[in-house]
Amino acid sequence: MIKKMAKKLFLLEIVKAMGLTFRMMLTRPVTRQYPDEKRPAFPGFRGLHALARREDGTPRCVGCGLCSAVCPSRCIHVYTSEGADHRKIVDGYDIEVLRCVYCGFCVEACPYKAVVLTEHFEYSDYTREALFMNKDKLLSNWDNYMAGAKGEEYHKRFWRPMSEDFKAHDDQAVFRGAKQKELSNAA
Amino acid sequence: MPITNDMKTKNLTISMGPQHPATHGVLKVVLELDGESIVKCTPYVGYLHRGVEKLAESMTYLSALPLTDRLDYIASVCNNVGYCVAVERLFGIEVPERAKFIRTMTCEMARISSHILGVATHALDIGAMTVFLYSFRDRETLLDLFEMLCGARLTVSYPRIGGVRNDVTQEFLDKLYAFTDTFPATIEREYETLLNENRIWKQRTIGVGVITAEEAINWGMTGPNLRGSGVFYDIRKFAPYDAYDKVEFDVPLGKNGDVYDRYLCRMEEMKQSNRIIRQCIEQLPKGAIMAPDAPKFTLPPKDRVLADMESLIHQFVLITKGPIAAPEGELYASTEVPKGELGFYIISDGSGKPYRMRLRSPSFVHVSALPVLCRDAMVADFIANVGTIDIVLGECDR
Repeated sequence: MIKKMAKKLFLLEIVKAMGLTFRMMLTRPVTRQYPDEKRPAFPGFRGLHALARREDGTPRCVGCGLCSAVCPSRCIHVYTSEGADHRKIVDGYDIEVLRCVYCGFCVEACPYKAVVLTEHFEYSDYTREALFMNKDKLLSNWDNYMAGAKGEEYHKRFWRPMSEDFKAHDDQAVFRGAKQKELSNAA
Repeated sequence: MPITNDMKTKNLTISMGPQHPATHGVLKVVLELDGESIVKCTPYVGYLHRGVEKLAESMTYLSALPLTDRLDYIASVCNNVGYCVAVERLFGIEVPERAKFIRTMTCEMARISSHILGVATHALDIGAMTVFLYSFRDRETLLDLFEMLCGARLTVSYPRIGGVRNDVTQEFLDKLYAFTDTFPATIEREYETLLNENRIWKQRTIGVGVITAEEAINWGMTGPNLRGSGVFYDIRKFAPYDAYDKVEFDVPLGKNGDVYDRYLCRMEEMKQSNRIIRQCIEQLPKGAIMAPDAPKFTLPPKDRVLADMESLIHQFVLITKGPIAAPEGELYASTEVPKGELGFYIISDGSGKPYRMRLRSPSFVHVSALPVLCRDAMVADFIANVGTIDIVLGECDR
């Protein structure tokens, strides 16, 4: 009874909480000062779209239209025509970036590794036109953000499913027991 | 002039929302007030209606998945899993063990991040701002893990019909395990110190928004809102899906069915989720992450698409027309999302698209129970009640 009254009188729980708040003042801040301090996106971040190039610089896209068929927000438009030797020519490839929901289904649907989502995420602009990507813009996105080893790494990890996803294999991540404990302590 | 008792007064009708910071989105509630006490409370929903159910009818089973992300966008994996579980049961697809564990793990991550945000915004509405700031630090860790896993932070679209999109990396498992090491202690040291005994918090929550077990059942409440009233009902226990029958966890129950008990339930559920994640990581077996026996439903392996005819045809047909071999039938499958019971009722007419997809969303049901919670309440209690039912309007209005 007396204990309860003392608790009430001396605002014990408030003092305790205040103590926590003051202790927090001595810890390092967890916020980042965003425009000055940038955190790189994780590999495979679903950001701005790009159209991939082959090693020789020609676009990979063959115009099959699977990406536009699977797109849940119908933001991809592929325009094709028949060339001289009856091959399909990709006349235009437009992505309405403002309508995209970044599900990444186009990447999975594409049989030719042609369309990718880059890790670039700072592309806000003032006009709608600037965020309407045509084929040239998309190809230059590839050159700017994904060309070389990065693109290969991306396809290796996120162009799924692969045959190995349908069976067990040795280098799958599992719990590492006591070793994991050590690691987490070190971190 | 002397004030007499027979002075005529009139009830005041005010409209809270749809643009009110305490209504968690675009909920409009018309309150009829007598002084400061609520006489009548009428919620109006539909400001965030996007027609998800109708949209799904024109999409293949495959590409309807991102729609479910945008229901309860705080815990989108849970919705994805709910949808996938429904489609898998309808078509009899058996998900591999590893995929089941990964799904369970990510679902519980989403549950923690949803509860943590729910409790934090609730506390912020009532006036405890510090919890809100701390909670975003822990939520950030989880969102970073989601980004590492699949490349998106909120609308993840990670599960697939018959499995998951890509395998977990060792780095991800290590980081998540390290998080589960410290998280329960963080809850106790920080959130519970700040709120559990705080006299202002207790005065604002104890005895407010009371709903009895019987009423809660009658109003169709589910999830922590029902368990706060002491009803033992959790779909993870009663009809286990994925790997929930292989992990151990307790279901916390409240006693009084007031705001405070529901808050305690959520806090305890976070600790239990933490437990589930640890067990999932420890038990995670090696194996397939996509159902190999469902070539008509899952995309064929990419390395074979341009190598053999069969796979190429599958790839094109699946994406343009949806699963052709879809059997006819209808099915209701429910899963436990952080807000309660999320049900998908799907009718398949054998084409690659759902003939009808009906959603039973917990937030919608909970909003309809708001007038019950607001009986004999003050305007300030209304804020506590909106916070405690933990609604997301994206799911409510669909």
